[in-house]
Amino acid sequence: MRRANVISGVILVIFGLVMLAVVIPMQINPGPDGMMSPRLVPGMMMGVVIALSLLLVINNIRAKATADDSVAPISRGEIRALVTIGVIFGAAILLYLLVSPLAAGAVIVIGALLALGERRPLVLIAMPTGLLTAIWFLFYKVLGTGIV
Amino acid sequence: MSDLLIGFQDVLHPATLIWVAVGVTLGYVLGALPGLGKATGVAVCIPLTFYLGPVAALGMLIGIAKGSAAGSAVSAILLNTPGEPSSAPTALDGYPLARQGKAQKALKMGLFASVIGDFVSTLVLICLAAPLARYALLIGPVEICTILLFSLTFIGGLSGNSMTKGLIAGAMGVFFATIGLESETFVSRMTFGLLELEDGIALVPMAIGMLAVAEMAVQAGNVKVLDSEGARITDGASRNDRVVLASEWRRCLPVIARGTLIGSVVGILPGLGASVGSFLSYGATRKASKTPEKYGTGMIEGVAAAESADNAVVPSSLIPLFALGIPGSVIAAILIAAFILHGLTPGPLMFQQQPRLVADVYAAMLCASVILLIVGYTGQRLFAQVIKAPLRLIIPGVLLLCTVGAYMETSSVFSIYVMLFFTVIGFFARKLDFSFVTFLIGFVIGPNLELSFRQSLQLLDHNAMNLSKHPIAVVFILLTVAIVWWIGRGKGPAAGERHASAGQTPEKHVPTNS
Repeated sequence: MRRANVISGVILVIFGLVMLAVVIPMQINPGPDGMMSPRLVPGMMMGVVIALSLLLVINNIRAKATADDSVAPISRGEIRALVTIGVIFGAAILLYLLVSPLAAGAVIVIGALLALGERRPLVLIAMPTGLLTAIWFLFYKVLGTGIV
Repeated sequence: MSDLLIGFQDVLHPATLIWVAVGVTLGYVLGALPGLGKATGVAVCIPLTFYLGPVAALGMLIGIAKGSAAGSAVSAILLNTPGEPSSAPTALDGYPLARQGKAQKALKMGLFASVIGDFVSTLVLICLAAPLARYALLIGPVEICTILLFSLTFIGGLSGNSMTKGLIAGAMGVFFATIGLESETFVSRMTFGLLELEDGIALVPMAIGMLAVAEMAVQAGNVKVLDSEGARITDGASRNDRVVLASEWRRCLPVIARGTLIGSVVGILPGLGASVGSFLSYGATRKASKTPEKYGTGMIEGVAAAESADNAVVPSSLIPLFALGIPGSVIAAILIAAFILHGLTPGPLMFQQQPRLVADVYAAMLCASVILLIVGYTGQRLFAQVIKAPLRLIIPGVLLLCTVGAYMETSSVFSIYVMLFFTVIGFFARKLDFSFVTFLIGFVIGPNLELSFRQSLQLLDHNAMNLSKHPIAVVFILLTVAIVWWIGRGKGPAAGERHASAGQTPEKHVPTNS
């Protein structure tokens, strides 16, 4: 975790500096005269983040090494799962825009089931059907509110 | 008192009572589903109440708020995925209890603590709302600013092993809250030309992404390990594993009393919300315990502490709404629309202009607490069945519900983009031990913090010496410094980071880090 703390601290310092030097001046106008600048609070928060991140980096560089330092806090399986979920949602958004919300909903369920190792055809058909019907019934029939 | 009796007469009518029961049941189900919390539930159901009478309509919406506050503990205990951020501390001990075969015990204690906290807090609301209207006027922007700062510091310090990381997360939350139109000058801030960002980042898709989808991503990465662990989550054979024992009641009652008190006080203070209440209560209980190291491993007191405070916040957060017309929480803000719609304008004058309707609301709230106990207790076995399903079947369903919940906020695909963006942030935050809860609290109180900070600067005429005219603010500034010193001494940057790998943080007591 020590190494991860140093890396995340450095990334946060860079993030804070970019925000302070580039994004905040470019994306926030100074505001009318006589009023407090709209840049004040975002700038203050980034100042706090930079200062605390530097403290995080320094403290972890100075801290003694432990046996756990060699263990990565994030496993490959977790990164793979995050990317897979991103791909599933990407496909769902495409289907939502090009086909229909129903197809998007189905692909989220079926895609996730397949990605997690489910291969039984009955489950692959019944789960999206059941879930989408239940959502339709809850919102359109019970609550009387359209969601799409 | 006579008004309250008339209120009970109105509410105990079957036609009204059934809508309160429908609200509680619906709320319980919505609360149990990750991402669909009380704010979403009430917002979705407001159009449903158009055709109901004022008492039935308000009773139903209050029932949803109360039901979902209690229902969010179900997924926190069974799935380690809090239905709402305020139930995150419930998962810390509730989920380990479930893994030990004590899911029913944890669910029961969660329900009892919820009902007690909720009921007592409703009584606090009834007793305090009208009298407090006079004294609450003493709390101005300077005081609110210092109270919010104190809360953020406290939560940042308590919610992880490293106070530095907690404060970074809190500052990042406030920073993201500044995106959108600035409330005084109406200057766009960091919208990158996107119209969807003019109103700021919507809380619901952000919270769903950070909490639910990020958790699903982590769990999907460990699905085999977790399924094998999940298979071990079975109801204990012993009756003692399924019921709350007298000895546990004795241990938990003082914890529930403290949690109710903390939740009620936090609810009264505008802007803090249920997450602050449940974390404060959990932290205070852990600090007060003789065995704080056992928290996070399945202490039933942890469940009682978090749930009693979480549910106590809901009724007491209506105190500033009723006394001053200022919403003390997200749910109170949403309820304003419903109250006005049904002829009750929240504020000090409502006690004079609409005493009967106020009494009806109070009676409906008390009845909703009792109905919550009945619905929760009888439906618990049904909800407990979730633990028998393998994760590969749960994750797709949760992902779909998260998508629906996020989408409903704005009825736009942009909400899904927001959800996915914060899924990535939430994923790395939880893996690198940056408190995503502090981030969310910073985000929620950010607008209030900024507004009160701006007003404070104007009121104090940019001169810190003028703070001496605001003794309450001075007290909270001193408390903030004391909290930094107190927490920092035991678990501050040096200690926290030095021992980061040696001990698990509360947020790390999830299977994802196993």
